[in-house]
Amino acid sequence: MYSSIQKLIKNSWIELAVRWFLGVTFISVSYHKIIEPAHFAKIIYGYYLFPDFSINLIAIVLPFLEFFTGLALILGIYPRSAILSILCMLSAFIIAISINLLRGMEFDCGCFSFGEAGYTYSAWQLLIRDIFYFVLGFHVLFFDQYRRLCLRQSGSFLKNISCQN
Amino acid sequence: MPINDIAKELTLLLLIAVISAFTVNFFSSNGIALIGEWDTAQGVITAKAKNTVVNHELEIQEKRIVKNIYDRKEAIFVDARTHEDYKDGHIKGSISLPINQFEGRIGKFKIDYPTATYIITYCSGRECDDSHELAQLLFEEGYTTISVFVDGYPAWEWEGYPVESVKH
Repeated sequence: MYSSIQKLIKNSWIELAVRWFLGVTFISVSYHKIIEPAHFAKIIYGYYLFPDFSINLIAIVLPFLEFFTGLALILGIYPRSAILSILCMLSAFIIAISINLLRGMEFDCGCFSFGEAGYTYSAWQLLIRDIFYFVLGFHVLFFDQYRRLCLRQSGSFLKNISCQN
Repeated sequence: MPINDIAKELTLLLLIAVISAFTVNFFSSNGIALIGEWDTAQGVITAKAKNTVVNHELEIQEKRIVKNIYDRKEAIFVDARTHEDYKDGHIKGSISLPINQFEGRIGKFKIDYPTATYIITYCSGRECDDSHELAQLLFEEGYTTISVFVDGYPAWEWEGYPVESVKH
């Protein structure tokens, strides 16, 4: 049982599937935020966690970080660093959502723009989804075998792998 | 652990993302200001997008002033929220004109209320900009005198001012 799990974890096709899944996911979630940064800024405001001056800056930069790290995962450009960025973002999302759940708050401005922009998930759904992505991300981060279809093969979080595509 | 290599890779990814983000935001018609207005004490919050509908000059901050206008029947009150919210409770005598049904309802509205009518729009409070969006839509239809009641229905109801609901 243990050895078959290890085989799965070391399987480069599974690593590729997870990497592409996370890459496509992060590119797709960045889309609405890039198109409508004002809506995304309001979502960030709705967590009531960030100082006013930082809300717009987060709303401008974060979607592009999601987009480029997602793209880097798909193309295999520095995948370990791309997934490390994604894990940092997911950690921040999980902490922010958890704090609001503990406070019993769920932002609802009563505005039309929210429903139209697709921000209709509940906090619990978001939390479970992000934890799922987080677990998958660890697989990519610590994968120490040769990665398939990588433009810039750099290695795992723990060791470098020389480029030999 | 190859910390230096990872740091270099992270810096490169971050740089590309940050430069792209600010460049696209600068040229995009939906771009936002670097710092928004998120203090509800100042009025309706806004990310200050280039195409923002929020115009603080239209806002009436004092509930008492709005109540005086209401009592003297100097304006009609127009509710920008969903029709369901309107049915659950609204400022007594107000008219429902949800912004997602604006096209379908504005024809009858214009017949009932000439463009010289003084209009006060409202929605759910200072975190909601639908009242501003409705005001802009009404300006485009030729209405000239419009104010926005920033505290909206929740504050009106909380103050104990006249409200009514539509039976389901």
